[in-house]
Amino acid sequence: MFWDLLKKEFLIELRSKEISASMLTFGVAVILIFSFSFSVSPRTMNTFAPGLFWVMTLFIAVLGLHRIYAYEKEFDAFGFLISAPVDRGLIFLSKWVSGTLFLLVADLFIAPPFYLFLQLSARPDPGMNFLILLLGNLGLMVLGSLVSGLAMRAKMSEVLLPILLFPLASPVMIAATKATAALWSGIPFRDWQIWILILLTIIISFGLVGFLVFDHITEE
Amino acid sequence: MFLHSRRNQIWLGLLILGLALDLWIIVNHTPMIPQQHWAQKIFYIHVPVAWTAFLSYFVVMIAGIAYLVKKDNRWDRVGLAAAEIGTVFMSLVLVTGPIWAKPIWGKPWVWEPRLTTSLILFLIYIGYFMLREFGGHPERIARYAAVLGIIAFLDVPIIFLSVKFWAPEVQSHPQVEMAKQPTGILGPFFYSLALFTILYVFMMLFRIHTLKLKEEVQSHAV
Repeated sequence: MFWDLLKKEFLIELRSKEISASMLTFGVAVILIFSFSFSVSPRTMNTFAPGLFWVMTLFIAVLGLHRIYAYEKEFDAFGFLISAPVDRGLIFLSKWVSGTLFLLVADLFIAPPFYLFLQLSARPDPGMNFLILLLGNLGLMVLGSLVSGLAMRAKMSEVLLPILLFPLASPVMIAATKATAALWSGIPFRDWQIWILILLTIIISFGLVGFLVFDHITEE
Repeated sequence: MFLHSRRNQIWLGLLILGLALDLWIIVNHTPMIPQQHWAQKIFYIHVPVAWTAFLSYFVVMIAGIAYLVKKDNRWDRVGLAAAEIGTVFMSLVLVTGPIWAKPIWGKPWVWEPRLTTSLILFLIYIGYFMLREFGGHPERIARYAAVLGIIAFLDVPIIFLSVKFWAPEVQSHPQVEMAKQPTGILGPFFYSLALFTILYVFMMLFRIHTLKLKEEVQSHAV
């Protein structure tokens, strides 16, 4: 059933391309603004870059999360989904996994212009960089999927989502930024493995909580 | 009606007297700490207030779990009352913290783990009240609030650890240094801590009572 739900998310996105198109365009626009706003030396920009990258990722995550739930508000599709005999924890998992994959793809497409426009010089290990990206996105999206579930049917949901998500996601932002900065500076892994452990803690604990409480969030 | 009860009136009177006594003891009968001087006196308020705020948010989580399990509105009232009172105390933490920090660290705000965790929790609870305001149907609001209360408290140790490792140079929370300070501190401190805890319980009972009345009035109006 999980795979069917995941397939549904991808099919909708393949047909509409709403999430990826909005995430990509918004991401590039944010980089442009960053480039204009920070007229600093390349060295300083290299220090700022990990933080800027994760701020941009957080912004596009909010945009994506809003769309992931918004299209199911139309014609009360979400109402039909939760009235189906499906474990609601699986609905949460499918939203989380699909959201993470959309965000990951958007990040991978945005990374080259980010690197180019901000004139970065770091040469990080691609495998490790991808691991941080994956864990950071999983962390952002696990909290994001939970919060979106709460905010989806509220009035002013588009305002509530970032207001609730930003403070909750602060440990993800700290851990992802610190891990990225350490990797880009060439610091050995053993000196910053704590950030990977913090990200894993967030993913596992909130993944489990989300799976358990999503039933209560979606109850009619 | 809560304050019409003789027992509650006695408790209120005792609390007012106790708080006045607390202030008198803090000003006149606590030792002056070298280098910290008068600024240190706020420790007797700041720490009990912080303890009460975190206790209150812990109660929100427990009430949230109980509500999701039992679906009893009483637990929603407990959760809301604890969230409101916790946020009042948390805002006091955010005011007293910088007052203490200014003379000790030379600046009103440092990214100290406890203070930062307090700020983040405070912001989460601003969102909590917005969710309660705009959540829609009252039963749905109660469920959402219960879930958010659980998530918020679970986030506390993770936020604390992240900030601790994020800014390892900021470790000198004044409270840590207190252990090495002269005697005569612990007595007034624990008195203040107990007093604020009793004040918290009294405020909780009062707020739960008013929330119950509000619900009754609303159900009669319908």
